[in-house]
Formats: sequence, structure tokens, C-alpha cells
Amino acid sequence: MTSKIINMAERLKDNEDRLLESIFTSAPIADDGFSAMIEKKVRRQLWVRRMVLPVATLVGALVSFKPLAGLVTAITSLTSLLPQELLNAPQELVPQLPMIVLGGMLLATCLVGLRALED
Amino acid sequence: MTSHADHELVAKAVSSQDTAAFGELVRRHQSHVRNFLRKLSGDVTAADDLAQDCFMHAWDKLHTFTGRGSFIGWLLKVAYTTFLQSKRKSKRYMEILEQVGHVTETESRSHTMQADEVTDLDRFLAVLSEEERAVMVMSYACGLSHREISEATSMPVGTVKSVIFRGKEKIRTSFDIKDHQHG
Repeated sequence: MTSKIINMAERLKDNEDRLLESIFTSAPIADDGFSAMIEKKVRRQLWVRRMVLPVATLVGALVSFKPLAGLVTAITSLTSLLPQELLNAPQELVPQLPMIVLGGMLLATCLVGLRALED
Repeated sequence: MTSHADHELVAKAVSSQDTAAFGELVRRHQSHVRNFLRKLSGDVTAADDLAQDCFMHAWDKLHTFTGRGSFIGWLLKVAYTTFLQSKRKSKRYMEILEQVGHVTETESRSHTMQADEVTDLDRFLAVLSEEERAVMVMSYACGLSHREISEATSMPVGTVKSVIFRGKEKIRTSFDIKDHQHG
């Protein structure tokens, strides 16, 4: 009710308001390719954003490939130094450990894939 | 596409990143936004650059449009924010130039208009402060309600009313409106 009264009060314009309206109102500006240019810019921005993540991932993978390979080699040589009983201990405690690790990795991959598809 | 309401086009643009729907929104409202920014900045080229920035910001923030008010009200809010941000940046830029003594005469006069281009509206706008100009243009040129202006400028409705009153008072004291009306 109150808002209706406010709206009515706003509509009750005097001559001065009408005069100001006529002075302030300008002729519409022709589009002249303005909206097409914005649409093009938006499309380009969208494409760039879609490409940024895969490209960054690829570049990251390429950059980190050599150090990662070195790390894997170092870990392998370190594990050979550890006693065999210590390495077998987790598998003896939880016999399904390799399956659990594999399942976890698959789940993580699926989640990342779904997220990428959603984006 | 032209028969769709603004709200439907916004929903389409947000949900499926539909650039054509957004393009239709730009086509519908570019004139209002560009007119608003031209009146606010007094510079056609700068206003059109700002309008481009405004629509790019609008695309980024489109998901924040709740559909509570009109789309043009929301768009003018984005335009006003873009204008204020650019003004802040250019002010800082001019301060730096002044510090190093590089303000040329051309740069300092870049926002003034040629005498033959000055219209009645320009004279009216010249006596108003930036805030009054924005509110008056939103009200009289874009036809926004006090509530919509309040949302666009983040001012309480009462302040919007008093800004309009103050603006009208300034115009009244600076120009003989009645003479204008009859002449």
C-alpha cells in the first residue's frame, strides 16, 4: 500500500518535471555495430577463459615433467634402501590397500573431469 | 529473441553462457547506457569507451542480477560504477602527471567542449555536481523511479529525493526555467 502511494506520488509530476524530462531526454543513439562489437568481445573473452585452464595444465605438465621424473627415480632408489618388512607392513595391515588407492585415484580423476565438463 | 523479456534473456545468458542473448540485451539498452555516460562525462568518445567497459563488466557480473528491479536500473548501476572507477583512475593519472610537471594544455582542456556544441542540457548539467548529474539523468533522461535510482547509486531513497530537489533548485536559481518554457 505504502509503495503504491509512493509510486503515485512519483507519477504526479508538475510542469517543471515535464520540462526537465523534455530537456534531459535525448534522441536514441544508433547502434552502428556497437552491440555486435560487444558480442564479439564477449565471445572472445569466453573462448580465452575456456582455453586458459587446459593450456596452463599442458604447459605445467611439460615444465614439471623432467623434475617429476627425477623425483620418481629418487623415490624408487630410496625405497630400495628401506627394509622389505617396512614396505610390506601397510599391505599386511590393510590387504586391500592397492585397490583403495586405485579407487581413490579413479574417483579424483572422475571428479576433476566432471568439474572440467561443467566449466 | 526480440520478444523475450530482459529477465528471460539474462537467465539464458547466465545459464548457458549464451552470447546471442547477451547481444540482444546490449542492442536493447546500448542507447540508454551510452546517453547516460555521455551526459555524465561530457565526452562522446570517452563515454563510448566507458560503455564498452560497462557491458564487459555487466557480462562478468550478470549472475548477480537477481531480477528484483529492472534490468536497465541494474545496468545503469554498473555504468555508474564504471564511470566512478575510471574517474578515480584518471584523477590518479593526472596527479602523477602534475607531480612530474607533464600536464599539457591540451590534456587539461580535454574534457571541455567547443562553445558551439554546448546545448541547454550541457548548461544545466554544468551547474550540477557529479552526484546530482547522475541522479538527475537517471530520473529525467532514463525514467528510473526513485527506488531504482537508490539501488543504482547505493543511496537511500530519501537522499535520492533530496539530491533531485537540490539539483532542481540549482537549475532554477541558475536559469529562468519559465522563460525557457515559453521561449
